[in-house]
Amino acid sequence: MRLKTTCIPACIFAVLLILTTSSAFSQQKKISGKVTSAKDNSPVAFASVTVKGTTIGTNTDAAGEFTLNVPSDAKTIVITSVGYLNAEVAISGSDPVTVSLKETTSNLDEIVVTGYTAQKKKDITGSVAVVNVNNMKSVPSGTTESILQGQAAGVTVINSGAPGGGSNVRIRGITSLGSADPLVIIDGVQGSLHDLNVNDVESIQVLKDAGAAAIYGIQGSNGVIVVTTKKGKGKSKITYDAYIGTQRPLSKGFNLANTSEYAQAIWMQATNSGVAPEHAQFGSGASPVIPDYITPAGAKEGDAGTNPADYVFDPGQADDNRIAKANKAGTDWFHEIFKPAMIQSHTISASGSSDKSNYYFSVNYLNQEGTLLNTYLKRYSARINTTFSVKNNIRIGENAYVYYKQNPSITNQNEGNAISNTYREPPIIPIYDIMGNFAGTGSDGLSNAANPYAQQMRQRDNKSNTWGMSGNVFGEVDFLKHFTARTSFGGTVENNYYYYFNYTAYENAEGNTSANSFVEGSGYRSQWLWTNTLTYNNVIGDHNIKVLVGSEAKNVYNRALEASRSNYYTTNPAYWTLGTGDPSTQSNTGNSPYQLALFSLFGRVDYNYADKYLLSGVIRRDGSSVFSKDHRYGNFPSVTAGWRISKEEFLKGVSWLNELKIRGGWGKLGSISNISATNPYSLYYTGAGNSYYDISGSNTSARQGFYLGQYGNTNTTWEEDIVTNIGLDATILKNKLDFSVEWYKKSISGLLYQLQFQIGNYIGGTAAPYVNSGNIQNTGIDFSATYHGTVSSDLKFDITGTLTSYKSKVVSLPPGYKYVDQTSSGSSRIGAFVRTQPGQPIGAFYGYEVLGLFKDDADVNKSPTQDAAAPGRFKYRDVNGDGKISDADRTFFGNPNPNFTYGLNLAVSYKNFDFSAFFYGSQGNDVINYVKYWTDFPQVFGGNVSKAAVYNSWLPTRTNATVPKLEQEANFSNTTVFSSYYKEKGSYLRCKQMQIGYTLPSATLRRFGIDKFRIYVQAANLFTITKYTGLDPELQASDLGNNSNFGIDFGNYPANQKNYNVGVSVTF
Amino acid sequence: MKKNKFRYFIAASSIAGGILAVAACSKFLDKTPVGTLSPTVVYNKSGVEGILIGAYSLLDGEGGNGGGWGSAASNWVYGSVCADEAYKGSTPSDQGDIVPLETWTATSTNGYPSGKWSLCYDGVQRANEVLRTIPLAKDLSADDIKEFTAEARFLRGHYHFELKKVFNNAPFIAETVGVDTKPEEVANVDANGNYVNIWPQIIEDLKFAADNLPETQTEIGRVNSWAAKAFLAKAYLFTADYTNAKTVLDDIISKGQTSGGKKYDLAAFLDNFDASKQKDDPEIVFAAQMSVNDGSGTSGTSNGNYGDVLNFPYNAGPGACCGFFNPSQSLANSFKTDANGLPLLDGSYNTGSLISGKTSPYAGNVDPRLDWTMGRPGIPYLDWGLVPTDDSWLRNDQGSNGRFIPKKNVYYKSQKGSLSSTENNWAATQLTANNVNLIRFSDVLLWAAECEIRIGDPEKARTYVNRIRTRAADNTTWVKMDNGNYADKYKIGLYPAGSFNDKTYALNAIVFERRLELAMEGHRFFDLVRWGTASATLNAYAKYENQIKICYIYNSLQTFTPGKSEYFPIPQGQIDALNADGKTNLKQNPGY
Repeated sequence: MRLKTTCIPACIFAVLLILTTSSAFSQQKKISGKVTSAKDNSPVAFASVTVKGTTIGTNTDAAGEFTLNVPSDAKTIVITSVGYLNAEVAISGSDPVTVSLKETTSNLDEIVVTGYTAQKKKDITGSVAVVNVNNMKSVPSGTTESILQGQAAGVTVINSGAPGGGSNVRIRGITSLGSADPLVIIDGVQGSLHDLNVNDVESIQVLKDAGAAAIYGIQGSNGVIVVTTKKGKGKSKITYDAYIGTQRPLSKGFNLANTSEYAQAIWMQATNSGVAPEHAQFGSGASPVIPDYITPAGAKEGDAGTNPADYVFDPGQADDNRIAKANKAGTDWFHEIFKPAMIQSHTISASGSSDKSNYYFSVNYLNQEGTLLNTYLKRYSARINTTFSVKNNIRIGENAYVYYKQNPSITNQNEGNAISNTYREPPIIPIYDIMGNFAGTGSDGLSNAANPYAQQMRQRDNKSNTWGMSGNVFGEVDFLKHFTARTSFGGTVENNYYYYFNYTAYENAEGNTSANSFVEGSGYRSQWLWTNTLTYNNVIGDHNIKVLVGSEAKNVYNRALEASRSNYYTTNPAYWTLGTGDPSTQSNTGNSPYQLALFSLFGRVDYNYADKYLLSGVIRRDGSSVFSKDHRYGNFPSVTAGWRISKEEFLKGVSWLNELKIRGGWGKLGSISNISATNPYSLYYTGAGNSYYDISGSNTSARQGFYLGQYGNTNTTWEEDIVTNIGLDATILKNKLDFSVEWYKKSISGLLYQLQFQIGNYIGGTAAPYVNSGNIQNTGIDFSATYHGTVSSDLKFDITGTLTSYKSKVVSLPPGYKYVDQTSSGSSRIGAFVRTQPGQPIGAFYGYEVLGLFKDDADVNKSPTQDAAAPGRFKYRDVNGDGKISDADRTFFGNPNPNFTYGLNLAVSYKNFDFSAFFYGSQGNDVINYVKYWTDFPQVFGGNVSKAAVYNSWLPTRTNATVPKLEQEANFSNTTVFSSYYKEKGSYLRCKQMQIGYTLPSATLRRFGIDKFRIYVQAANLFTITKYTGLDPELQASDLGNNSNFGIDFGNYPANQKNYNVGVSVTF
Repeated sequence: MKKNKFRYFIAASSIAGGILAVAACSKFLDKTPVGTLSPTVVYNKSGVEGILIGAYSLLDGEGGNGGGWGSAASNWVYGSVCADEAYKGSTPSDQGDIVPLETWTATSTNGYPSGKWSLCYDGVQRANEVLRTIPLAKDLSADDIKEFTAEARFLRGHYHFELKKVFNNAPFIAETVGVDTKPEEVANVDANGNYVNIWPQIIEDLKFAADNLPETQTEIGRVNSWAAKAFLAKAYLFTADYTNAKTVLDDIISKGQTSGGKKYDLAAFLDNFDASKQKDDPEIVFAAQMSVNDGSGTSGTSNGNYGDVLNFPYNAGPGACCGFFNPSQSLANSFKTDANGLPLLDGSYNTGSLISGKTSPYAGNVDPRLDWTMGRPGIPYLDWGLVPTDDSWLRNDQGSNGRFIPKKNVYYKSQKGSLSSTENNWAATQLTANNVNLIRFSDVLLWAAECEIRIGDPEKARTYVNRIRTRAADNTTWVKMDNGNYADKYKIGLYPAGSFNDKTYALNAIVFERRLELAMEGHRFFDLVRWGTASATLNAYAKYENQIKICYIYNSLQTFTPGKSEYFPIPQGQIDALNADGKTNLKQNPGY
């Protein structure tokens, strides 16, 4: 039986373990020695000492000394340590060995942790980007994924300024319309970068192609980020790393009209529409009159109802008279809600090792206040990593991380949040009325926006807490000279708990009498992973062989619940519990749990001949619960090869060339994308709103009903990615310049796509299953280079650059689809901005292309027929040339994918001073400035307008205008359809950080028992160069889990706010 | 030895693990879906009943596929805004998709018709699912089968009826249509490329329901044979089959009763729009039942009247949002009555002063139904006080929406929180338990009057119309000020004997009566199309509104295109999907 056979290897593996772990070693001899640095003869602690071609080995202690039992036939030992060239020493007799290690100037011997194993950088044949963790850590941020930006070629990261907010992380472009999030492996266990303490990170590798990632099979299709956290190394030490600083709101904001300009726009709007201007606040007549009060509407000082004694608080009712003064100058809403905010982070860690054990312990406190009022991330975390060598050949250990965070968030990139309301709320409105209650659009004639200050202040007592645990326990056994068996069991448990209160926003035009309500909820997410591997490592002459086989099981289980009540007697937070609300308003809901299981077997062979010819093969067989029994298993192979040309005789004489390797590979990855976990099944659903009905006419209760919720598909199986990668790594000019360039092609076929029924809506509302259909293709080039410069012994510098480019193209869609329109969760008032269509990149903007504004009647007459065409309105391009503007003239006019993104790290050290800077940029991407929909068209709800709308809009006397005519009509030729009017260039270059540090002379410090003391000052986001007119061109998707549309500005929490910090790093 | 213990520990745990892996492997990857029902669980009587309730639940226009205000049960956009009854309201670009509909320039990518299309076909398929499940449930009695089949076919007939009214050339989807159905099998054209007419199938479904349903039901929201007959009569009327229509209507008028067993009769006019009374009102032939505070409010697709949440006064009163669906000046004017209390059938109501005009408002007689149909400045708005005369309950800041606000879908202040939602929903204060009346008995009487004029007895027609006017003339139900005086000069009279002998006059009187009686209830546009008078009526309306410039939408002249504007465009996405193979399986309506 097929299923049983897949389990046999696990069984064999177990049996093998029993046999081998109990076998004893015979015929041994003992050697000892000392490892020192060639530079200053200081001992090298924690260097690895192994018998060549075997797993038999140990580490040096703090004095650089070691002893090792070796087989009697052992001939050579290999000594390796980070930062030093490897050394091989022949074993002669039993004399103590002394090894002097030379410092390395190239990082080729650097050990890089890849999938389930580790390799020397020079041996890598797949595409692996090694992140410079120090460079990365220099950017202050609460989330670790956000600071990967620009640090690894091939990785694109889009951030926002929201503390603790998510990022769009994409490795080699968008490989799925659903989630394109890479797999994150932390110490061998799947995890998340989001809440990781960056100070705990030892190394980060990004596995980009199939050669590197195929070992992760179906989880590797979006790329894999492999994180190793710190282990104790060498003598015991305590470090303290901290910074504290201030984040500054953007000085400019949205460039909006003030009160008199706002009134002027209303007047222009009426006049342009042929209507006599008349406004509840600004009166009527030739020009607007700014009143003294907005409630009573348009009142002057001394008018009836303006006496404070006449103040009546009774929202929605006829006698309501919440007297509010007009803000004649204009309220700067943006700067009322964006205030300077503090950021601080403190990490204390203790670590150390002996030849038998090592430990690393750290605690971190991070507090990032957001510049937007009442947004913050507070996180407390601790990590304990330990390893014990029980015997020379047995190691056990654990990695454990716990954290607790408070991170109430806002819905970023959404038309209804406080950020968006800063450009919607008219400037004449003050924050408070005369009695200190909030003022707002409830005053007559002032649109329907919400008071953004009130919105954020009402968030103050909301809670959103998460705590999580992640990590693993593991054991390793070396046996029979060449074998290592490892078992690891780990996972993550994460709980979140939140509540929030919806106040009655009495000051607004809408919802001012809604009942208040309280919502409380909680979620549980868990995942365990059990991995067993067996490694064989041998060197036979020039043949270097490494074989790995393994099995892995993974189980995911998530669920959540939420409840609410309304009509709270008081809004006092001390009163908020579910029980104190009105029981007749109670509502509760629980999601269906998400369940997923994976079982996998995998194997890997790495072979190299004479350090010159490299060959590697991987195969993984994955089984997943989301597919039906017969389509559950998939095989994912890859083959890669490399040739270190510089090792060839004919290049030996080329002095400027230190290293040159070409490599290439082909492989297959899989993905379950964001397929529903119950995809194979046809299921009936029930839902209070969707299928209940008040059949008895009771007014307040409904009978339960069912509906066929989804059609299953038992034929659905893996999405398949075929990746081809060709790369070149070189080190030249006396090891001064390293660079790496790669070209890749990633073809994703059998895209897991929710089927569109051939008969469209006739099928009803039953959800279609995901099927395998449609193809996407990404191609691109990754480039990275580092130059190590030495001007003098005191002045050294390093420059590292990375460049990432991808071109994603939809190749085909499932049958029945010519295209798919993608609406955004940020706002859908003028339909979808994005269309997915074969031949186009993912995310391409689709709509009417604006040629300009109709100058005059003559211009209208000579142009193609267009509904509602008139001077001062948009002139659309007649794409099909039929003389008539219709739906058929919509076209692709923009691409949010950049031509390339790039990062540049500069590090200079002069004596005890150091300086570093990091620049990041994105080039050639288009963005949609949807804010203009609200601020350039007063007929859109009548909120505030841009200065451009006042001074650059079309008038009969201003026909070369950039903004359309301000008018009362909304129609096809101005606001009701999506057009290229909103498109802008999104390229930018940002100075992400710049810092100057000073390290105190060590001689002075030693007297105080301090090994190292460095202080620094830093500026983050010092400047951004861009032509974009909005706040910030770095625009992530409004729904981070949906990659179909992004680069659209709904009023984004800007990521480019300046941040000034001082920091310190001390080691005892 | 201590060291060896660890070795054995690892070895042992590996063995245990290996054994576990083997044992668990075969089942490890089988995950049973949780929180859902597998088909076998519902293939029984209570399952079929539940699926039937699921089919009813889309009567409210929300909850399934599609949805939104474009699929509102009340058809306020298509039936009233696209006719001469109401303006879109709100600011010009708010719900911008309504603008081209209101001005008869919509294209096939408009989101509103698309929502209606999807929702109705979802309703059709939910009804079909009942029919498909019945044979699979083995514990059904013959009576159960008859009852469930009849109710399901009624619902399927109703959803198709909606599609027919709005799109005309929508195909009929039978219970045989499923995942494997090919587009050509559900084409809206025949082999010659001519549109397929689905009236026969709609009538067949409704007739089956009428013949097989019981006269009363234990639940008042469940359809009975009389309600099915009323829909059947309506279908006959829409196909101009007056003979069949009259037969059914006569039957209904003489013997019809509600599902609750009340003989059909006219109730007080205002009770039809009061959630505390309408549910079991003898006048309600069939309604989409709405409920609030039933646990569905937070879901976004609540069981309250979500389709009409925009249609409330702005910023105050019962609503606070969103200022849509403002009755037109033309509609208000049409409530003017002459010295005898009769409407101005000659169309002169639009000449002279305006009802509630800002300057020199009309001061003559008005039909008392005016103030139950719309909120007017200075007139009591249910129990919410007077509508302010400064128009502050309207959303006029970006262009005028006239002076009136909707009223028939609005709840009383005394009902706030009990018949309006208090749940955590952005539109809670406008989410109501007010039913959407799909057929009222007065509608039935006016159909009967129409049939009598066309093929029967004019005096009988006059009696029907006068029965409705008599009800409206009950001065105990007229709107009164606090001081007990009537809010305006109400005057309503009856058509005198013999006045209906002039068939043209009589038909005009019936048409006008429908306008007054059923205003703002989403019927007008479909009536105009049925009568073939849409183009003349609506172009005259647009011209008048353009002259008075009271609503910003009519600042430029709109035109209704005969032969096109009678029906709404079939959603482009559906045309693209159904015709993906290059064949025209779904043919767009003429003119689009």
